[in-house]
Amino acid sequence: MEGEIRLEELTKRFDDVVAVDSIDLDMPPGEFFTMLGPSGCGKTTTLRMIAGFEQPTSGKILLDGTDVARVPPHKRSVNTVFQNYALFPHLDVAANVAFGLKYHRVTKEERRRKVRGILHLVQLDGFEERKPAQLSGGQQQRVALARALVLTPRVLLLDEPLGALDARLRKDLQLELKAIQKDIGITFVFVTHDQEEALTMSDRMAVMNHGHVEQAGSPREVYEEPRTSFVAGFLGVSNLLDAEAAPDSGACSLKIGERTFRAEQGATQTRGAAKAMIRPERIELEPHDAPGDNRLPGLVERAVFLGGSHEVHLRILGGELLRATVANNGRPPGVELREGQAVTLYLPASALRVLEPSQDEPDSAAAAAERPERTAPSM
Amino acid sequence: MSWLRNPWGKPRVLAVVTGLYILWSIVPVAIAVLFAFNNGRSRTTWQGFSVRWFTGATGSVFHDPELQGALKHTLILAVICVGLAVPLGVALALGLQRWRGPGGGTINTVMLLPLVTPEIVMGVALLLLFLRVFPNIGLGTPAQAIGQVTFTLSYVVVIVRGRLTSIGREYEEAAADLGAPPRDQLLRVVLPLLAPAIIAGAAVAFALSIDDFVVTQYLSSDASTTTVSMLLYASARGAPTPALNAIATVALLITLATLALAFVVYRRFASGKEAAQVAALEV
Repeated sequence: MEGEIRLEELTKRFDDVVAVDSIDLDMPPGEFFTMLGPSGCGKTTTLRMIAGFEQPTSGKILLDGTDVARVPPHKRSVNTVFQNYALFPHLDVAANVAFGLKYHRVTKEERRRKVRGILHLVQLDGFEERKPAQLSGGQQQRVALARALVLTPRVLLLDEPLGALDARLRKDLQLELKAIQKDIGITFVFVTHDQEEALTMSDRMAVMNHGHVEQAGSPREVYEEPRTSFVAGFLGVSNLLDAEAAPDSGACSLKIGERTFRAEQGATQTRGAAKAMIRPERIELEPHDAPGDNRLPGLVERAVFLGGSHEVHLRILGGELLRATVANNGRPPGVELREGQAVTLYLPASALRVLEPSQDEPDSAAAAAERPERTAPSM
Repeated sequence: MSWLRNPWGKPRVLAVVTGLYILWSIVPVAIAVLFAFNNGRSRTTWQGFSVRWFTGATGSVFHDPELQGALKHTLILAVICVGLAVPLGVALALGLQRWRGPGGGTINTVMLLPLVTPEIVMGVALLLLFLRVFPNIGLGTPAQAIGQVTFTLSYVVVIVRGRLTSIGREYEEAAADLGAPPRDQLLRVVLPLLAPAIIAGAAVAFALSIDDFVVTQYLSSDASTTTVSMLLYASARGAPTPALNAIATVALLITLATLALAFVVYRRFASGKEAAQVAALEV
């Protein structure tokens, strides 16, 4: 199967800024691969190197085993859907889609047939003679997709292609893109800063930060088993607490403040300073003074009704703020979500995860950027 | 000054000042144009309407050899100037946009110098250049054309670069991505997108060439290299007839039509902001 990309020690330096720092990534053929990260993490630069718009400072880009790092973009069998689509404004939809076919030695008749076929695939039949300016954002996005797909590239690169669309359209197009990818079986390399988009669409994903890959794996793996606190923080709201860890018969005993908790997830063999992590939806709220292990008291500081759920901010003894998501099951939750209400938080051992202290905190990104040492690549 | 005290009041004083300024700048031109249609030989006393100074049998723009020669030479120079300044300017603008090395800033400044250099300085400098350094070119039509290109080039570069900056590199990258080699990126994407700027640049160069007096005058040789503006200057103190007003009117019309065309074309393709910048350059 064609369309495998492997990056080996790929590095890009702009003057003295290292945008991509010796990353290794495997993008298997026929899969939907997502690079996720905050702006400035190097994901777009990596994509632009794969496309050929930027020359790597060093390292290899292997496309089906051949290093294409020095091949100019017009000779690479990869195509790109640009963030702002970059549809040629002086050409109509058909001419935009047919643009690249000129370099593919196809007859006029075949060209027309292919354009019609691909426009049908993206549900734009009959739009051949429109100019890009006469299309809505979503339609432009489809033309950009058609223009790239009609060339049957081995790999399709997508640079935040949904970023400019409104939330509703985004959701529809996410599913549609995923369906098209499955349908035609081309490798998609997708860049986004939207963790939900990444989780919804990807077969595999890599979380990037400061030019490094923090973690790569299936969305489930990365979401359920984040390896660093950056990944945990970036993939949705996570509660992180400082803790002292000590291995304890297959699990881990975590000392948080004055209390000891049992944690069964993550780096349970860690000893010493660590982070305890629990996702908001896994925190269970119980009436004040409920008995049992892995419980601690807290005060409701704020409760926000979100429709399908409540988001509850809880102040615990050490002064830290935890967030809990309480599903709205059509009946009032077991405890009253009033401001100032004392409750008990139950942190199930099966949901409490031990993270090795991370080098990069998501909220101290600027400080971390100046730090010279680098995170070990986690691939 | 009511609006100073009352923010909702109409700024009447400003309106009056603006109106007066417009009158002051338009009325002399309008009078000059009006007397091109005078039925007598006077340029100051109205003697009835006629087009004799345009089409009459003697001494009119279309029949007097001297006037005709000047008009023809003016247009020939303008065409040569546009023909040289536009391709050079586009090439320079593309080159400057791509140049990512030391000296970029210096080159930018140098490109803008002709826009601020007093024309008389440039005229004298070019005169010395053609007399001393390139005596084999000498004075005359080639020197006039080169002189005009020297300063109109900057305008073309500024206009084309403005457009290049606003369209960015993404379209070129898209073309490359779709398999177009560099030549096709230029021909199929960049140049068509630059078309409005190229047309605007050409129009501005054309208008500047027709209007130019100082450089063209310095680099002229004999009577065959006289342009409309030179003719107007030379005969203003002689015994002028309304034919001069007529030829000036023709030159004015050509300039206005060119600029209007450029503005319309540019407006059609580019954003209003860019069009306004070009309009500002033209004035």
